[in-house]
Amino acid sequence: MKSIILFRAKMLFTISFLLLSLSLPNWAFASHFPEPGDPVAGAKVWAENCSRCHNARDPADLRDDQWISTAFHMRMRAGLTGQQTRDVLTFMQDSNVPIVVEPLVFEGGPASKAAESVVALSGDGVYAQTCIACHGANGKGTVPGAPNFTSASGPLSQSDETLFKHVKLGFKSPGSPMAMPPKGGNMSLTDADIKAVIEHLRETFGQ
Amino acid sequence: MSIVNRKFQRCALILAMAVAMPLSAVADEKFELLQQQVEALQKQLQEVQEVMQQYQEQMTVKEGQVEEVVTQLKEDVARADEWKHSDTLIHLAGYADVGYSFASGEDGSFAVGRFSPIFHYQYRDLVMLEAELEFEVNEAGETELGMEYLTIDYFLNDYIALSGGKFLSPIGQFRQNLHPSWINKLASAPPGFGHDGAAPTSEIGLQARGGFQIGGIYANYAAYAGNGPELIAAFEDGVYELEGIKAEGFGNDADGKKVFGGRFGILPLPGLEIGLSMATGKATVTSIEAEAGHGVAEAQDPDAPDFDLHDEEARDYDVLGADFVWGLGNFQLRGEYVKSKVGAAQTGVTASEGATWSSWYTQLAYLIPQTKFEPVIRYADFKSGNAAQSQTQWGLGVNYLISSNVIAKVTYEFNDGQVGTKADIDRWLFQLAYGF
Repeated sequence: MKSIILFRAKMLFTISFLLLSLSLPNWAFASHFPEPGDPVAGAKVWAENCSRCHNARDPADLRDDQWISTAFHMRMRAGLTGQQTRDVLTFMQDSNVPIVVEPLVFEGGPASKAAESVVALSGDGVYAQTCIACHGANGKGTVPGAPNFTSASGPLSQSDETLFKHVKLGFKSPGSPMAMPPKGGNMSLTDADIKAVIEHLRETFGQ
Repeated sequence: MSIVNRKFQRCALILAMAVAMPLSAVADEKFELLQQQVEALQKQLQEVQEVMQQYQEQMTVKEGQVEEVVTQLKEDVARADEWKHSDTLIHLAGYADVGYSFASGEDGSFAVGRFSPIFHYQYRDLVMLEAELEFEVNEAGETELGMEYLTIDYFLNDYIALSGGKFLSPIGQFRQNLHPSWINKLASAPPGFGHDGAAPTSEIGLQARGGFQIGGIYANYAAYAGNGPELIAAFEDGVYELEGIKAEGFGNDADGKKVFGGRFGILPLPGLEIGLSMATGKATVTSIEAEAGHGVAEAQDPDAPDFDLHDEEARDYDVLGADFVWGLGNFQLRGEYVKSKVGAAQTGVTASEGATWSSWYTQLAYLIPQTKFEPVIRYADFKSGNAAQSQTQWGLGVNYLISSNVIAKVTYEFNDGQVGTKADIDRWLFQLAYGF
């Protein structure tokens, strides 16, 4: 019985290596490596994978080049695919921009008439694309440290201006081990997108 | 009448001339003054025009000069940016911890847990060298150095990476991913998952690792072939018996028979991972311990009939493991089971019955919202082939997250083991862990 199990294990190993030899190695050299990934998909990878083993690291902890080696190290440790690695790396590199301390000019209220023309997504769309990975569909947070939007004393108790600044510049909730990166890590968000998603938060999770 | 009129006309003319003479003189003075002012203004204008012309000449840059400046700027920017785009990256990571332990009935001691730098050398997105050293200061004050792992990883494509060298055992989760002190949520490893426990720690061989997606569900895998572990026998009460498994990666295959194993993990839901592990192969006794207890030493028991190991039979060696982790918001629940079974040997100096080592633990952690405090509770049950090591344990702890990678821990262990052994002593552990 033992010899049969051993034989099967050896066969499995041999077949695995045959499959490896048939797989197409990635010989092509890009001018820069790795190729950029999708930062929105990367935010999801970050939220769903890192905290399975350890406290998720703040993107601002490391520089862009340090994140490259770290991401490839984590590819080996966590069994990420190459695409997941590129996505989360791009997210971390986009999100480690230092938080700006200058006061922002907030034009107030809902997206202005002038800004409406550049809103590419609805507030619902922005939330589903950029925020949901960490804040969850129910707004209660999916990762340690993410605040509860449905709480009366939660983030939505603050003014639109404060929320706008926190989203745009990044923010670390009191007691949270990590910070939300500027624009949630999605640097393509416009001011109008941010205002739209704040409206969505109030309509969906507001008391 | 005409004479009178003529006289009157003459008088009027003379009077008019008399009045006009001084007015004319005043007009001449004003004219001269205006002329002087105009001349002064003309001079100033000329000076301004000259200055403007000089400025214009200075400001005027030929088209070729602009291109030259732009080219120079581009070169400067590229040079300033070149550190971001080198083909080889060098990165230092790792972790360290310091602490204080206080066991029931003993004096407490400060301790440097370990310093474990991890070196990364990466060639583009094709190859990465990873090496973790482990520095520890023992009770005698001596510094011990170990190679926790050293691998060269080759990223074949998006789904497969080949890794050769000494690697952390992919059996289960704790050894390969959770043992660094800044990750482990209590200040100690669960019984059976440390060194010389039920779970193998390292292996020297070749490994394939990766991940893939099927229908929206991610999975990951690791498969390896390695030299396998070595066994320790003990001579007690006139007979030999198996004492322990050393599964820390040996550069020599004592029995010439390789061990094959791996792990398959699946993530059916966000935050949930379930894994199964196994390994199978042969292992042989390579050392003898004279007395039961912790640590391994060559036997010095004068009553032992024969310590010269020869003709040791390669025994069956099988490992099974299962693990899960589920993170939901600020909660994290995880558990792991591992069993290592060694078969009997009919030949050799240490021929004896087989033995089994098994352990499992489950752990719940909760990060209190809006605070940095994280209470943790863990239960573990380790059954060793050496009864003195068997232990059940309740571990309670509170962590303070100074940051996500700097953690202060207070842990209390309720230990229940064989009376008179270390496994039966409760203890406090204080630890400050830093992951970098």
